[in-house]
Amino acid sequence: MKRADLAIGLGLLVLSAVYFQQSFRIIRGFASDRLGPAFFPRLLALTLAALALTLIVRAVSGRSDPSRPPAVRLGVFAGLVAVLVIYAFLLPRIGFVLTTPVLVAGAIWLLGLRQWGYLVGTAVGVTAVLYLVFARTLHVLLPMGPLK
Amino acid sequence: MLERFALGAQIAIHPVSLLMILLGVTWGIIGGALPGISGSIAMALLLPLTFGMNPAVALMMLAGVYIGAMYGGSITAILISTPGTPGAAATVIDGYALHKQGKSGKALGVSLITGTIGGIVSVFILVALAVPLSKIALAFGPPEYFALGIFGLALISSFVGRDLVKGAVSAVLGLIIATAGTDPFSGTPRFTFGTIDLLGGVEIVAGMIGLFAVSEIFERFAHGVDWERIRGKFTTDLPTFLELWRLRVATFIGIVMGTIEGLLPGGGGAIAAFISYNEAKRWSKHPEEFGHGSLEGIAAPETANNVVTGTAMIPLLTFGIPGSNGAAIMLAAMLLHGIRPGPQLFERTPEIVYGLFVGMLIANVMMLVLGYLALRPSIAIVNVRPPLLYAGIMALVLVGAYAISNRMFEVWVVLITGLIGFGMRRYGFNILAMVLGLVLGFIVEANLRRSLLISLGNPWVFFTRPISAALLVFALLTLVWPIVRQARDDRRARAVVAPSPSP
Repeated sequence: MKRADLAIGLGLLVLSAVYFQQSFRIIRGFASDRLGPAFFPRLLALTLAALALTLIVRAVSGRSDPSRPPAVRLGVFAGLVAVLVIYAFLLPRIGFVLTTPVLVAGAIWLLGLRQWGYLVGTAVGVTAVLYLVFARTLHVLLPMGPLK
Repeated sequence: MLERFALGAQIAIHPVSLLMILLGVTWGIIGGALPGISGSIAMALLLPLTFGMNPAVALMMLAGVYIGAMYGGSITAILISTPGTPGAAATVIDGYALHKQGKSGKALGVSLITGTIGGIVSVFILVALAVPLSKIALAFGPPEYFALGIFGLALISSFVGRDLVKGAVSAVLGLIIATAGTDPFSGTPRFTFGTIDLLGGVEIVAGMIGLFAVSEIFERFAHGVDWERIRGKFTTDLPTFLELWRLRVATFIGIVMGTIEGLLPGGGGAIAAFISYNEAKRWSKHPEEFGHGSLEGIAAPETANNVVTGTAMIPLLTFGIPGSNGAAIMLAAMLLHGIRPGPQLFERTPEIVYGLFVGMLIANVMMLVLGYLALRPSIAIVNVRPPLLYAGIMALVLVGAYAISNRMFEVWVVLITGLIGFGMRRYGFNILAMVLGLVLGFIVEANLRRSLLISLGNPWVFFTRPISAALLVFALLTLVWPIVRQARDDRRARAVVAPSPSP
């Protein structure tokens, strides 16, 4: 994980710098204590920077854990993330009833089950159960889109 | 104390409570049996459904899931050699051996009975330890709470997972996420990036569902979801009293190990289960049977992981520090209902604490009955094609996230924290440490600033008070110890590789 640790360490270092810089944008209220709302965040930013440097030094000096993480089925994983992002984007726009079956069917398809009966049956079934539980039983105002 | 139990029992035996505990235990057994869905994930999935409930009932239900999942995990461990929960990993060894000998029912029965015994004993241990400890915690002021928060974070960073630096990074990142929103002290907004959605901060429940449950689902999509199907018909075959008597040593070892692990952070029963297994083998009259279908080899780990369900609540209820994933979810449920665990909880709302105690006893009895009756439906669900299950769970998570506050923001939080959690698992970071940072951020920061306000800015306030000084010293030792150990191991390794100095 040497390369990964180096990259993560650098990323965390950048993150701590950005976070530290952002802490200067906090407006100090009148009712504040003497330390103020930016004190703790700055303390955290410095701690994170120190830890990130430790990760980097460890990676460069070759003392990182040498094991490699297992390979990922990249196509399936990227597909899932895409389906989820599209779902989250469309949910408030066209509603729960139209988007959820597509999400479920898409996820099943990505996982390699491609029989239409299962795809359609589960997509409709899961949507119906979730609707009954959340909208009908728990009275959650699910986004309904044009089907309102 | 007795009248407090009466108060708790009143809530726990209300028909609605009983129904919710029943649902919780049933879902726990099913979720626990499903590979990839551990007890804590099953609890996280149920969290959005507990919003409208009375807080005492919500906690009983979640505890029921936790308890049921411990038995559920052994179903798949025994029948398809795949532990349904990490706590059942040790059960695979002898459970699957018994299954191959056609004694599956006996293995399931021993798991169920010893698990129930462990669970019931653990509630008594919980009451015996938590009530006096909460009295000690009553003396805590801001410096002590700050020190306790740091101690908890140090323990989780260093003992859960193998990498101290990565554990500490995880905890600090959790604390950083917790600072977004409104400053608890002055009411000033910070790190909100101009959105109203972040004014209330990152909802802890959403963060937890993402880090615990969604990350696991991503992992399954990335590495494949299939598991073997359970073939054949099975019934739970309860052991006779004589058989149970022969398991007394193994069961006792499980109780001791489960108690110790519950009090210490991390693991969720898996470590206690393995240690109990090894100790039971050492103390057994028939150690040669271990690995070839020993009933003691099931009794020890299954007692241990069920004991953890009770004892893991001790640090949570008394100090507000969750030591396991399951306890962290219980904490999220409390915060969701505006309850802060700690000594005040025992004083101000005894009905919640004692209701939980009684509810956990009831849940254990229900597990005994349901473990017997619900075996066949659980097997049927485990045999549903995994892609269908995981797709359904994915949809449940997203709709549940939306339901937290009827807006899209939590859906995005769940997805993003899910991705973060996936990356953290992959590269050896510590999810529980991040969750703990997220949960304790408020307590640590508020008490740090409150202490320094009282002491007029003098930082020695943390070291002039004995409890806070001791906690901070322990925290430091916890962080230094792995470094010392590492240096010693390195020196030994070098001594082996290069015995003679090169010229």
